[in-house]
Amino acid sequence: MAVADSTPPAEAPPQGPAKGWARRGGALSWGQRFLTLREGSIIVITVVTFVYFAASVPHFLTGSGLKALLPYFAPFAILAAGEVFVMINAEIDLSVGAVYLFAPFVFYKLNVNAGLPLVPAMIGALIAAMLVGLFNGLVVSVVGISSFVTTLGTLFTLSGLTLIISHATQVTTPGTSVVKVGTFAQIFGGGTYSELFWAIGIAIVLQLVLSFTRWGIYTVAVGGNRLGASEAGVRTKVVLTRNFVLCALLAGFVGIMEAVRAATTTPDPSGANVILFQAISAAVIGGTLLQGGSGTVIGAFIGAIFLGVLQDGLNLKGVSANYFYFYLGLAILIAMAFNTYVSRVRTGSGRG
Amino acid sequence: MADASIPEERIVGPQTADDDVLRVEHIKKSFGPISALRDVNLHLRKGEVLGLLGDNGAGKSTLIKILSGFQKQDAGTMWLKGQPYAPKSVLDARAHGIDTVYQDLALIDQLTVYNNLFLRRELVKKPIPFLSNREMRKRARAALEETGIDIPRLDVPVARLSGGQRQAIAVARTISGDADVILLDEPLAAMGAKEGALILDLIARLKKEGRVSIIMILHNYVHVFQACDRVSLIQDGVISLDKPTTETSVDELNDIVVEEYRRARLAAQSGNGASAGAGQAGGTPA
Repeated sequence: MAVADSTPPAEAPPQGPAKGWARRGGALSWGQRFLTLREGSIIVITVVTFVYFAASVPHFLTGSGLKALLPYFAPFAILAAGEVFVMINAEIDLSVGAVYLFAPFVFYKLNVNAGLPLVPAMIGALIAAMLVGLFNGLVVSVVGISSFVTTLGTLFTLSGLTLIISHATQVTTPGTSVVKVGTFAQIFGGGTYSELFWAIGIAIVLQLVLSFTRWGIYTVAVGGNRLGASEAGVRTKVVLTRNFVLCALLAGFVGIMEAVRAATTTPDPSGANVILFQAISAAVIGGTLLQGGSGTVIGAFIGAIFLGVLQDGLNLKGVSANYFYFYLGLAILIAMAFNTYVSRVRTGSGRG
Repeated sequence: MADASIPEERIVGPQTADDDVLRVEHIKKSFGPISALRDVNLHLRKGEVLGLLGDNGAGKSTLIKILSGFQKQDAGTMWLKGQPYAPKSVLDARAHGIDTVYQDLALIDQLTVYNNLFLRRELVKKPIPFLSNREMRKRARAALEETGIDIPRLDVPVARLSGGQRQAIAVARTISGDADVILLDEPLAAMGAKEGALILDLIARLKKEGRVSIIMILHNYVHVFQACDRVSLIQDGVISLDKPTTETSVDELNDIVVEEYRRARLAAQSGNGASAGAGQAGGTPA
């Protein structure tokens, strides 16, 4: 490893391939700084995609066209925000789709079968979701089973449980009505912009938590160097468990909102798994590295916008849905390659 | 019959002084079948710098980890300032006034210099507990300046720094806290001559102030005589020598280590011979 000069210039250029950029200075080094912003690349890709569809699809830019975009991105922005916290910990939560499926049925049961009012029933369902997260977190941090395996187990268990308690039948979501959208439904998913507001609010709050609180610092510390963090006195088990709880809570919340939006609650495990993979895709495209230690909620939010634009644009263009997955896959690969490069430049460590 | 372990008479037993801040007796620690510490007795006087020497695998780091609350001993007792000391965690040890620079430095590559310096003692605002990054940066700058460590930028991830700079940050983090017992696990590894001298000067200054007592794992005998008041040699899970540095010499330490190496090799050879002999109808061991 090269020993850094003891007094580098105030704006030390990144090492390695950055040499050519730095020499030309000015606009280019500014451009590089933007691109090495963790979110820089995905912002560029999203804008390009957006402009492409705006130019090539007639109804894309109209009010109703943009409204149609919302359900394609808002839920994923929220799910990805939770997944980001877990992924910065160098873990993964595969059970978000199952929690997303499970929570609205708990909500239904508590409201219809147990007779609780809407809000307490929802709170109960969210607590159930958090218990799933608590279970995941404790198994991973205390028992020490890898999060991939743990949450894979939770995924199937919970999907099965949902099918059992729902008798695999679709139900009408409590608080919704075809005739009139009530206040509860307006706030929690039924209103046109409801999910958008929740997504923006949650993303802002969680990005603040990540960047400016001890919770955020410890999340990065545990993901970046788990042994070191614990030697420094960070309670790694608490940090890990807390993030799994957060992730599950958000998954449950999105599940309920989507059930309210659709007015029906459908026990469809395969749909829930598509939700899972798109949430992880949004986080990954948004610059969160699977090996932990880095990632942003804002990046995941933009990643979710990218997914929404792509899906909505292809829909309106009348292109087969098959293309969506094709492009989504390419986007993930490109984003990952780029993120690896960016993290190399940022840390100047000369490795991935 | 030859034994690979240190002879009984060489094992340093419990010792005390009136001004002990830390004392440990009969510490044992095993990892599965491997016995890392067999019977460790050690004391540290107020304001003293104790050098801990020993080969790789002798148990130095294990001892440090027990003292720092990171691991728990299987048996044995510890006292800190006259009180029984049984840290439940690193934080607990720190609350008791013991802080550590670990061999792996415990730095988080992705966090900035000042976030690393303040890891687990972050300054936060009120009423919303946001981090006071500006204040932390200011104090980090002051703390580093005081220690004479030159880190040009504090808002870069520590991954960008050189090995020596990282080590200096880890040391600065520990000494800028308010610990009165400081444990350093190889603070001079990965350091250039200049940076190493800086850390040694720092330790000399701390010693002069007399506020803290220090246990330091070192590999280089010259450093031991430069920086330490007393030296303990840890061999095969026990302390086999404990002398003020004024009463010993590089030669003596060398002799002990070499002698121990030869003895252990001889014991291993004769052990092999014995088992071979035993195979031939109970022949006498060499």
